[in-house]
Amino acid sequence: MSAPDDERGLDQASDLQLVGRLWPFVRPDAWTLGLALLLTPAIAALNLAQPLLLKEAIDGHLVPEVLDGLDQVALLYLAAVLGAYITEAAYSLALSWGGERTILRLRKALYSHALTLAQRFFDRQPAGKLLTRVTNDVEALGESIASGVVSIVLDLLLILGIGGTMLWLNWQLSLLLLLLAPPLLGSIEWMRLQLKRLFVVVREAQADLNAFLAERVDGAQVIQLQGAQPWAEAEFARRSRTFTEANKSANIYDAAMFAVVDGASRIFVAVVLWGGTGLAADALAAVGIEGAAPPLSVGLLVAFMDYLDRLFRPLRELSGKITILQRAATSLQRLFWLLDVNDKVEPGTVAAPRLRGALVLEGVRFRYRPDQPEVLKGVDLRVEPGQSVAVVGATGSGKTTLMRLLDRSYDGYTGSVRVDGHELRALDPAGLRRQLVAVRQDIQLFAQPLSFNVDLGNSEISVTAREAAAAAANATGFVERLGWGHVLRERGADLSVGEGQLLTFARALAHDPVLVILDEATASVDSLTEGLVQEAIGRILEGRTVLIVAHRLSTVQRADRIAVMADGQVVEFGAHAELLALGGRYAALVAAGQVALGEGSPAQAQVQAGAPDVG
Amino acid sequence: MSSQTTAAATAPAPRGAVRAVLAPIFRLLRRYAWVHRWRYLGGLLTLGLTNWLTVEIPVSIGVALDRYRAGEALGGPVAAVVLMGALVIVVRTLSRVLVFNPGRDIERDLRDDMFRDLLSRRASFFARHTTGDIISRAANDITFARAVVGFGLMQAVNVSMALVMTGWKMWALSPILTVLSAIPIFVGLVVVQQSSSLVMSLHRRSQEQLGELSEHVLSSFQGIATIQGFVAEPRFIERFEDKATALLRTRMRGALLGGVAFPSLLLAGSLSIFVLLYVGGPMAIRGELSVGEVAAFATLLGILLPPLRSMGWMLSVFQRGSVSIQRIFDLLDTPHDQPEGPDAPPAPVDGAPWISVDGLSVAYPEAPDKQVLHDLRFTVQPGAVVGVFGRTGSGKTTLLKVLARLIDPPAGAVRVGTGPDQAADLRAVQLRAWQNLVCMAWQRPFLFSETIADNVEVGPRGPSDALDRSLALAALRADLSSFPAGVETVVGERGVMLSGGQRQRVALARALHKLARRPGGLLLLDDVLSAVDHATEAQLVGALRSLGAGGVAPTTFIVSHRVSALRHADLVLVLDEGRLVDQGPPAVLIERDGPFREAWRAQLPRGEGADGAAVGGAA
Repeated sequence: MSAPDDERGLDQASDLQLVGRLWPFVRPDAWTLGLALLLTPAIAALNLAQPLLLKEAIDGHLVPEVLDGLDQVALLYLAAVLGAYITEAAYSLALSWGGERTILRLRKALYSHALTLAQRFFDRQPAGKLLTRVTNDVEALGESIASGVVSIVLDLLLILGIGGTMLWLNWQLSLLLLLLAPPLLGSIEWMRLQLKRLFVVVREAQADLNAFLAERVDGAQVIQLQGAQPWAEAEFARRSRTFTEANKSANIYDAAMFAVVDGASRIFVAVVLWGGTGLAADALAAVGIEGAAPPLSVGLLVAFMDYLDRLFRPLRELSGKITILQRAATSLQRLFWLLDVNDKVEPGTVAAPRLRGALVLEGVRFRYRPDQPEVLKGVDLRVEPGQSVAVVGATGSGKTTLMRLLDRSYDGYTGSVRVDGHELRALDPAGLRRQLVAVRQDIQLFAQPLSFNVDLGNSEISVTAREAAAAAANATGFVERLGWGHVLRERGADLSVGEGQLLTFARALAHDPVLVILDEATASVDSLTEGLVQEAIGRILEGRTVLIVAHRLSTVQRADRIAVMADGQVVEFGAHAELLALGGRYAALVAAGQVALGEGSPAQAQVQAGAPDVG
Repeated sequence: MSSQTTAAATAPAPRGAVRAVLAPIFRLLRRYAWVHRWRYLGGLLTLGLTNWLTVEIPVSIGVALDRYRAGEALGGPVAAVVLMGALVIVVRTLSRVLVFNPGRDIERDLRDDMFRDLLSRRASFFARHTTGDIISRAANDITFARAVVGFGLMQAVNVSMALVMTGWKMWALSPILTVLSAIPIFVGLVVVQQSSSLVMSLHRRSQEQLGELSEHVLSSFQGIATIQGFVAEPRFIERFEDKATALLRTRMRGALLGGVAFPSLLLAGSLSIFVLLYVGGPMAIRGELSVGEVAAFATLLGILLPPLRSMGWMLSVFQRGSVSIQRIFDLLDTPHDQPEGPDAPPAPVDGAPWISVDGLSVAYPEAPDKQVLHDLRFTVQPGAVVGVFGRTGSGKTTLLKVLARLIDPPAGAVRVGTGPDQAADLRAVQLRAWQNLVCMAWQRPFLFSETIADNVEVGPRGPSDALDRSLALAALRADLSSFPAGVETVVGERGVMLSGGQRQRVALARALHKLARRPGGLLLLDDVLSAVDHATEAQLVGALRSLGAGGVAPTTFIVSHRVSALRHADLVLVLDEGRLVDQGPPAVLIERDGPFREAWRAQLPRGEGADGAAVGGAA
C-alpha cells in the first residue's frame, strides 16, 4: 500500500509536533494571538482590582462613616469595570480574527491538496469522510483556537491572581477554603467523568437511532410490502428508549453538577463568614488553639466573597476547555493525515504536444491493487487519428478499466500505451487532459449555473463556443428553457438523466478535445431524449479519435471499428458486418440481447472500480 | 387598564405573532405533556424553592454582616446559610431532573409517533418529502421541540421567579437603589436583546454558508474525475475561497457583535454596583441603609444577572421550538393517501388472486399529460404465470406497481378476487390486506445496511432452514460461501458490498421468503431473473407453480426482456410505449409478427427456436 488507508495507520504525533506543524498556518496572524496574550494580564488585573476597591469603599468609608473620597473610590471602580469590558472585547475579537483566518488557510490548504490526489484515493475514501476533515475537524480546531490555549492562559492567570490576592489578604482564611476545595473539585470531576462516559453512550445511541430511522424511511415501501411494520416499530421504540434513558441519566449528573457548584459557592461564603468573623477562632480556642483565625473587617469579608464568586467561573470552565483542546489535537491529527496523503498520479515530464490522436496499446496489463487479480491481461488495440472504435463486451471484461487508464484516472499499467508515439505515463497529465476528454457514465454535475457546468469556469471557452457545443450536444432545448444562468440543484437533481447526459456531452465538446473517451450510459432514458442522446453521440464521433464503451447496437454500428473485450483482452476487432459474419463473441452478444435491446447489463454497479468486488 | 387596551390596539401584530408562536407549543403540551403534569408540578415546586433559597441566602449574609459589625452573635444566620446552601444542591438537582426528564419522555413519544406515521406513508408522501427533509424533522426539529418542554419551561419559570423575588427583595432593601440600578440593567438587557436576534441571524447565515461550503467540497470530491479531467482545479479552488471568505466575514461580524454586545449585560451589572457605591454608599453613611444591606443588595444584583442573560436564549428557544413543532405537526397532519377509505373491506381473496384489468390507464402526478400505461385490458387466472415483455420505458414496472398498489389504479380499472363472480375493485380494498398477498422483487431493490439474513427476513428472524430454502431458490448459496460471514454478512449502505446481480437475488430471496409463509399470493418479479443464469432461471420458473405453501401456486408476473424466462408462462403481455400491443401464450406469440417473435429469433441460438416453441406450446 502506497499510503495508509486511514488515519488509524498513523503514529500518534506528539502535541508539540502538532503545534509545530500548525504554526505556518497561524503565523500570518500570530500578532492577533500575541495581542490577545498581552491583554490577558490587564484583564486579570482589572478583574482583581474590583473586589479590592469594594473592600476599600466598605472599610475605608462605609464602616468608619467617612464620606470624603468615597466618590473617588466609586469612580475608580467604574474605571476598572469599563477597562475590563474594553480589554475583554478587544481580546475576544483578536482571538476570533486569528482563529478564523487560521482555519481559512488550513481549509484552503486541505481542499487544494485533496484536488491533486488521484482517483483511486477517492475510490477508497468515502467523500463524506473527507468532507468531515475539511468541515468538522477544521471547525473543532477553530473552536480550540478561539477558546483554547490563550483563554486557558487567562483562566490560569485569574485563578492564580485571585488565589494569590486572597492569600495576601488573609492567608489563614484562604488556607481554610483551600482545604474545602479538593472534595468539591473532586466530586465535580467525578461527575464530569460520568457525564463524559454517558455522552459516549448518548452519541452512539443517537447515531444508531438516526441511522435506523433514515434507512426505514428510505425503505418504507419494502417494510410495508413485507408486512414488517410492527417489527420495525418495536425495533425503533427500543432504540428510541435506549437513547432517551441514556439522556435522562446524563441529565441527573448534569443537574447535580450544576447544583453542587451553585450550592457549594454559598457554603464557601458561609465558611468565609465563619472563619472571618472569629467564630472559627472561638471554636479553635475551645480545643486549645489560640489566635489561629483572627477576625476580619467587613470589607475584607465582602471582598473575599466576591473573589470566591470570580474564582468559580474559570475553575468550572477549565476542564471543559482542556477537553476542547484534546478534541482539537485529534482533529489536527486527522487533518495532517489528509495533508500527508501523497497518492497522486505519476506526473509525466514530457509536455504534451499538439496531438493528432493516434492511439496504440500493446500488451497492456493492469490490476487495481497488488492484492487483486489482473483486470486487463494484455490488451492490444490500435486507433487511427479520427477513427472511432466501439468497445463492447460482457460486464467485467475490463472495458471501463481500460477507459480509466486512458484518461489517467489510474496508473500503474504495464505494457505500453502510446499517444502519437508518446508513452502515456510520460506525458504531463494536465497537458494531456486539455486534449483528451473522458465522458463517464456517472454524470457529474455541480450546483452551479448551467454555463459553469459546461465551461467549468474556463475563460478560454467563448460564449459562442459554449452555445455551439450545447447545440451539437442537443442540449439547447432545456438550456434555453432554463437559461444559462440557472443554478442546478445538488448533483443536477432538477435535470432528467438524459438531460444530464446531454450536458456532459456539451461540456466535452466545449473543451474541443482531440481524443474522446466515452463511456455510454446504460441508464435508460425516455425515448424522446434517447433519440437526442444517440444523435449527439453521432456528432461526437465525427472528426475525432473516439473510444467508446457502447451498450446500444445503434451506437456500435456508428463506430468505424468494434473491439470486443473478454476477460481483460481484445478478442475480436473489425467492422460490424465482419464481426457478425465471424459468428463469434460479438455475434453471441448481439444475439443474447446484451447489445441489441438498448439495455445494459444489470450489474452496472461494478464500475465502482477499485472497490473490492465481493461477487 | 387603559394603557393595556391602547397597547393592544396599537400593536395587534405582535399579539398575533405571540399567538402564532404559542399555538403549536400549546398543542404539543396538550397532546404530550399533560400526562406528565405531576412531575412538572413537582419541578415547579422545587424550582420555586430553589429561587426562594437563592434570594434568601444573601439576605441572611447581610444580616450576619450587620450582627458582626454590631458585635452580636451571628452563629444563627451563618448556620442558616450553610443549611440553605446544602438544600440548594438537593432542590436544584431535583428541579432540573423533574423538568428535563419529562421533556425527554415527550421527545421520545413524539419521535415514536412520527416513526409509526412515517411507516404507514405511501409513495405520494415520499415524493413530496425527501428523506433528508424527513430526517431533519425527526432528528433536528424534535430536539428544538424538546428544548421547549425542558429547558424553555424551566427558564421561563426561573426568569419570572428571579425577577419577581429578587426585585421584591431589592425593593424591600431600598426602592431608590432598585430603580437606579435597574437603569443600566435595563439598557444592557435591551442591547443584548437587540443584538442577540442579529447574532442569531448571523449565526443562521454562517450555518447556511458552511452548508454551501460543505456542498461545494462534497461535490468537488464526488466530481473529482471531471475537475481533474478538464483541468478545472484552479477555478474550483477560487470558488472555494470565495465561499470560505464569505463565511469568515459573517463569522467576524457575529464575533464583533458577540464580543461587544453580549458582555454589555455583565457590564450593566457592574455599573449597578458602581451606582450602589456612588449613591448607596452615602446613604449607608447617613444611616439610611446598613452595610450588610449594601452587601446583600450587591449580591442580589449578581443573582439577577444570569437569568436575565439567558432570557434572549430562552425566547429564541420558544421561537425556534415553535417553528420546529409546527414542522413536525405539518408532517403528521399530511392527509393519508387512502382512496379506499378508513373502513375498507379486507381483500376478497386469501390465496392466489384472480385479476382482471379493464381499461387501465396510468399517468404519474408529476407528468399528468404523459400516459405511462394506456387502456390495458387482460385477465389472469389464479395461480397463472404471466410474462410481461417490452422495451425500456414500455411501462412494465408501472404495471407491477399498480398490481402491488404502490400506485392506485383508477376506480374500476383493476378488479381482484377469487374469480369473476367474487371480485372487488382493487382501489377499494384495504391496502394492508392486499399488500399482505404481494411478494415483490425489484430490478433496483432497496437493501438495508444490515446482514443478508436481515434483508431477506426484513422482520423478526424465523427458522433458519426456511431462510436457507429461500436463499437457495434465489441462487444465492454459491455467493454466500464467498462472503466473510455467510448470511450474517453486512451488506453495507444500500448493499454496496454486493454486485448488482447479487442485490437483485437478495431481493428475489426476500420475495420468495414472504411467499413461502402463505398459500398462494401474488408474486411480482421486476426483471430480477436476468440476475441469474439460464439454468437457475429455468429451474426457478419451473418451480413457481409448486412454490406456494400448501401447494397453492401464487399468481405470478415476470417482467423480462429475456424470452427464455417467459417461455413457460401461461400468458405473455407485450407492452410498447404503454400500450398492450399483443397478448397470448408464448407459443402463439411466436407464430405471429411482433416484437416478441423478433426477440425470440434473435435471442435463442439457432436450432433451439423450434424446440423452445414446443416447450412453450406444451405449457
